[in-house]
Amino acid sequence: MNRVLLALLAALALPLAAAAQEHAPRATPASPAEAHAQAAASPAQGEPAPAHAETPEEEEHGIAQVLMHHVVDARYGHFFVAGVDLGPTKHLVFFGVAALLVIGIVQISLRGYREGGVPSGLGSAVEALVVFVRDEIAEKNIGHDDGRKFTPLLLSFFFFILVAALLGLLPFSATSTGNISVTLGLAFVSFLAQQYGGISKFGMVHHFMGLVPPGLPPWLVPIMIPVEILSMFTKPFALMVRLFANMLAGHMVITTLLLLIPLMAAISTALGVFMIPISLGLSLFILFLELLVAFIQAYIFTLLSAIFIGMYVHPAH
Amino acid sequence: MPTDPKALAYFAAGIGAGLTIMGGAAGIGRLAAAALEGIARQPNAAGDIRGAMIVAAGLIEGVTFFALIVTILLAIK
Repeated sequence: MNRVLLALLAALALPLAAAAQEHAPRATPASPAEAHAQAAASPAQGEPAPAHAETPEEEEHGIAQVLMHHVVDARYGHFFVAGVDLGPTKHLVFFGVAALLVIGIVQISLRGYREGGVPSGLGSAVEALVVFVRDEIAEKNIGHDDGRKFTPLLLSFFFFILVAALLGLLPFSATSTGNISVTLGLAFVSFLAQQYGGISKFGMVHHFMGLVPPGLPPWLVPIMIPVEILSMFTKPFALMVRLFANMLAGHMVITTLLLLIPLMAAISTALGVFMIPISLGLSLFILFLELLVAFIQAYIFTLLSAIFIGMYVHPAH
Repeated sequence: MPTDPKALAYFAAGIGAGLTIMGGAAGIGRLAAAALEGIARQPNAAGDIRGAMIVAAGLIEGVTFFALIVTILLAIK
């Protein structure tokens, strides 16, 4: 499982760094928040203090800038390799942290199995998840032996997406799967796995021949072929956008709710103070929802990958 | 009717968000209704139905988020 995860890391880090070329660090409007007590309340929630624009008309731009600043990448340094800036950016750093965390958790859990022992604590929790992915997701959708072959990949997907999403909930961190390059890489690896599943089982020619089932009325075949070929690409594309949008939207909602405080405070101080408990309460609720969404999105990505791989390994015709 | 493109963009973003949530909530609402009815009819199938419900809800929400991203881009840019 570690080798697969390292391969995943390598496959993803490069497009992420390359795409980070376009993300210049967003400068928040310079002036820090006024001496409002409520500005100190939002760092308690984990978001850095929002900037305060000078005039009410610029408020919208200020708010939008702060919102974007929290969800898009930020470049920390430059490191040029063959004209591509691989320098560390926020999402790349947390991407690496998530991957290392997954490897670390697995290594710690593996210790419980030494000398034929029975794991306890973290090991048993990880084992429960691993068995769940293997039995419910891999074997149900890909079949018994092929399922075992693809289980390490599916486990890597599941744990990486879960850990990356949970990591993004901490203060001053970022969800690396909230960057479309990362989800592009994940979806690309899923696409490769689907093709590998089909080609390794049936050979290159028959894998593509199997897209069109035999026994179709002949007028249907010219429609089926482009549709099937297109669906080979739309499936990973949907995986990519689904994961990206879910992660991004969650953080945007949290940041927006917290930014309501200075928004209201610009109209009147009392309104701003009144807004604090409402905003904090709503943000807390959304944060709890994000916990659930992290698990659900990891599960959905893994499940759909397994279903798609199963579609090519065991075509229903 | 405002003609400034930025004003139109904000206007469109608002309408787009409303339409998006209408479609998404209607779809997931129907899904939840069918799932609850299924669980009521056969309580011992509750686990399977719950799993299928979550997967379908995730897929529908994925489509909703496609539209939401477009709306957010309109409002931000």
